[in-house]
Amino acid sequence: MARQLDRINRLLDESTRNRREITTPEGVVLEVDIANRGERLVAFLMDFLFWMLATALLFLILSLTLVHGVSGSVTVTIVLFLSFLLRNLYFIHFELHSQGATPGKRIVNLKVVDRHGGPLLPGAIVARNLTREVEIFLPLGLFFALPKLDGSGDFWAAASYLGWAAALSALPFFNRDHLRAGDLIAGTMVISVPRRALLTDLAEGGSRYVFSRRQLEAYGAFELQVLEELLRRPRSKETQAMQQQVCDKICRKIAWAQKVEPAEVPTFLKAFYTAERAHLEGEQQFGRYRADKNATAATHT
Amino acid sequence: MPTARPVATVTLRSAEFRRTREAAWRTLDELISRVERKGLSHLSADELQELPLLYRTAASSLSVARSIALDRNLILYLEGLVLRAFFVVYGPRTGIMEALAGFLKHGFPAAVRKAGWHILLATLALASGVAIGFMLVLPNEGWFGVLVPETLAGGRGPASTAQQLLDTEIFAPWPGIVDSFVVFANFLFRHNATIGIMTFGLGFLAGVPTLLLLGYQGIVLGAFFALHHNRGLLYDFVGWVSIHGVTEIGALILCGAGGLVIAENILFPRRHGRLDSLALAGKAAAGLAGGAVLMLFVAGLIEGGLRQLIASTPWRLVIGAATGILWTAYFLLLGRREGHGPAA
Repeated sequence: MARQLDRINRLLDESTRNRREITTPEGVVLEVDIANRGERLVAFLMDFLFWMLATALLFLILSLTLVHGVSGSVTVTIVLFLSFLLRNLYFIHFELHSQGATPGKRIVNLKVVDRHGGPLLPGAIVARNLTREVEIFLPLGLFFALPKLDGSGDFWAAASYLGWAAALSALPFFNRDHLRAGDLIAGTMVISVPRRALLTDLAEGGSRYVFSRRQLEAYGAFELQVLEELLRRPRSKETQAMQQQVCDKICRKIAWAQKVEPAEVPTFLKAFYTAERAHLEGEQQFGRYRADKNATAATHT
Repeated sequence: MPTARPVATVTLRSAEFRRTREAAWRTLDELISRVERKGLSHLSADELQELPLLYRTAASSLSVARSIALDRNLILYLEGLVLRAFFVVYGPRTGIMEALAGFLKHGFPAAVRKAGWHILLATLALASGVAIGFMLVLPNEGWFGVLVPETLAGGRGPASTAQQLLDTEIFAPWPGIVDSFVVFANFLFRHNATIGIMTFGLGFLAGVPTLLLLGYQGIVLGAFFALHHNRGLLYDFVGWVSIHGVTEIGALILCGAGGLVIAENILFPRRHGRLDSLALAGKAAAGLAGGAVLMLFVAGLIEGGLRQLIASTPWRLVIGAATGILWTAYFLLLGRREGHGPAA
């Protein structure tokens, strides 16, 4: 079943997402989409932006309130320390509070989950975020703290800091679950949870077209679900043309004798969809699942 | 031309199934959307009670839909719904304060107790570093400049006299509350945290760099010991170091031990396989490092603020020993009994 949906995704959305299965404690197997590296980068950059804004705001407030009596270096020190705290608490707080999603992740519909479908424990969240410090902020901080690139020793130090950050940032490119070091340590992964709406059922009770069993046996589940997607497409000239084309194809394949008027095409297709689905679902209940038109009915689902 | 009135009625079990369950799915969807926007605390008591029931209903609906329905939109919707509900139902329940408190009470001491061998190995690396540094610098102080970088030496070196060391280092005047507690403590904290986190992070490279870095920190310390020993100041220097050093070196060792835990699971995965055994041990390892960073913060405060305030070697030694006893008691005694809460 899952592979089936996958094949349609590939056909329709041209998506080649990696998918993993997690099993909930109830024993329901859920397929999850591994987050793309691009999505994760966008989420991280957004969080970074929010964090920077918060730090800038903090700096502003401190510089306004502490102007009297305290030297500039003290203010800078306080801000440096508070931004260090803020950075570490920001990710941990939001991942705890909103079920594994920081604001940046929420915007791009990402979530942190346990790799085996278990509950996401606070320890895992703390671990994956502390490791981020080692991965990115520490080497970058050291890099920017270097005085200037003049001596050869400094050059090698700078190169090693950047190399360390680059090597760890590149880690998601070298494993299929796109895990970064923090995910490895904490046993988590980041998945994409797109929001889907429940659309109205396409199947209609009454139909003025009657199809014979022979005609309905022309197709399998794959074709049915592609037809479903076609019927769910928003109305446009293009959709109309596609539906006309598909209608002609179906009529040829099932040897439909009458001519279907262009205005009747959507109705005809809906009727055929309903009848086909009723037929295939009925067959499936008897253990005869049919994946596509080329398959003979398999006895397992 | 087909006739205009329906000639066939088709009944679909999947459509029937959807009609009877849809209301529950919509309610669940609405609840979850609210939790996702505002958090669990915005649900009423009744809604909270209803949530797991609705979740199980949706999960069983998904199982049924997978076996009887071929409606792609329905199945995808239910998969998404159950997944989102799963995160809410099994998501973390603790706030950041509770998580931190749980970590300090149970997670950190438990992680330290579990990593006995790693701590021993890290201590050995550091101790052998101290011995090497001491042995090299004792007969030939030329080594000092080679082993200790300029920024750490801070003007101290073979050219320093005993009086200079006493006045500018060991019993240097207290710079005042703001400079010592804020500026200097923070500088020390950030410097030490950097080294500590690096020791931990380098565990990813099979642990050898962790041991080398620990050894190197030991060498620097040993070099300082030798420098002061040659001027008859070893006793005062040990006092000067111990007041914060017990905490700081302890933290460094814990960071290193965390790195070694990671290295062990990368090199010798147990029956779970490399990734899984890393994930199992990783949380404890990161806990070690995170707790060690907190220790470094304490050490920074003592070193930056308190050390120069207490200008007496016996008192410094007493405070150093007291911190050592306190840390040991904390690691050995806390969080032993209550092992049933969420692992932090």
